[in-house]
Amino acid sequence: MSIEWTKKLSPARRVLRTVALLAVAATALYGCATPTPQCALSETRNLDGAIASAKDRLGAGCQAYFDGYMDQLLEVAAGDPDPENRRAFSEFLVWTSESGLLSKRQAQETWNRYFNVKYVSLQGDYNNCALTCPVRAQVMANMEEELADKERGLLEASQDRAGYYRADQLLKETELVLEATCRACAAGGR
Amino acid sequence: MNPRLSTASVYGVAALLLAAPLLAGAAKGPALQLFPTTVLEDIKETGQVAGEMETGLQDVIARLDRQQQLYLESKCDGAEEDPGCARIAKQLGATYMEMLQIMSDRLPDMERAVNGTRTSLEKRLRGELGLKMTPWTLQETLLGNQPDGTEPAQPKLRGRSGLRLSERFRQYYSLVAQSGRGSDHSLAVVASDIYLDMEEASVLIAQTREEIGRATLLEELNQSFGVITPEMQQVVNGVKSILFGESGQVIELAGPPPGLDEMAYDSPLEW
Repeated sequence: MSIEWTKKLSPARRVLRTVALLAVAATALYGCATPTPQCALSETRNLDGAIASAKDRLGAGCQAYFDGYMDQLLEVAAGDPDPENRRAFSEFLVWTSESGLLSKRQAQETWNRYFNVKYVSLQGDYNNCALTCPVRAQVMANMEEELADKERGLLEASQDRAGYYRADQLLKETELVLEATCRACAAGGR
Repeated sequence: MNPRLSTASVYGVAALLLAAPLLAGAAKGPALQLFPTTVLEDIKETGQVAGEMETGLQDVIARLDRQQQLYLESKCDGAEEDPGCARIAKQLGATYMEMLQIMSDRLPDMERAVNGTRTSLEKRLRGELGLKMTPWTLQETLLGNQPDGTEPAQPKLRGRSGLRLSERFRQYYSLVAQSGRGSDHSLAVVASDIYLDMEEASVLIAQTREEIGRATLLEELNQSFGVITPEMQQVVNGVKSILFGESGQVIELAGPPPGLDEMAYDSPLEW
């Protein structure tokens, strides 16, 4: 179960979540849980401008708000959807990796969670009978959550309807195939 | 299995299925072995047995429907003492027993064929998708290697509604043959679909056989049927559902939205 629990959050989120919790705890002491003025993003509705602002804040010690920045950037992108937005997010995440804010793996998982058809939630080094089947319901729930993120990234931000459709279809196919495969695995153990 | 398929074409398709993975494997590693000839033979045989059973039961089920309709239209429900109604009820009981007898004769073959298909697919699914693949390779297999902007060859699935059992198997066979020319991802989905269908059919057949045993025992105890009881109706519906399909909702994968966008950008972060 611990594997599945940790998969609910991307590695980037896991690390930053810890930092964020500490930051929130610290700011709570002063009666304020929202970003301090110096950590708030600029109000621009232009994605390049918003990304520049996010880079500026992250570079100025506001790493704890990374999740919030991603959320705001996706919102800005949804206001002006464009296939090129995928590139903008990719470059932003590569920058976070090169700046040492995220590991390369964390940057990859974050980008793929939002902008790739493949599911970050569906990975592991062991076979499906051993790894996936015992926690199939949780895996499917995680994939459902990830599909919602792909809706924001692929569909709303990038207008990639084909990609989003394929991700949706992949989820359905995975559900069917895992149901059959896990029954077959269980029958083998009988 | 479609009886119109000749033996030559069956072997032709089988040869194609065997050859296609070999050709594909040269380019992208080991291919899925979900439908070897033994599994194809099982599917073919199940279709044939289903066809024979349908032929045998079609008339008797139609007669049963007519008699039941007559019973209802004659307002016999609650008027069992009426001699005319008693006669219809007796005929109903006799037809029902006739149906059970035909099924009793045919079901063992059907059960064997369905279980054979289920077992062989079960073994393949466990080995190929359960034990040889990780979650990641499974999703890569399902996703296939579609060039950007092209449509994956999707099988039309979920044959559980509105189809005769023999027709379902004919379609299964056709799907497997088409998928064999296509990619592994279709095969995985088709194999899963057939396997789950066989599991469902297997349970229904077992329930029906139990009911036949119960009804035969009642007959042996000389308890004649007055009317079609809910249990009898359930059996008749089950038989219709297995053999002749049902009018439920067809579960289909969603269709693509209009206007497919091209994936113009490949991120260095992409897996």
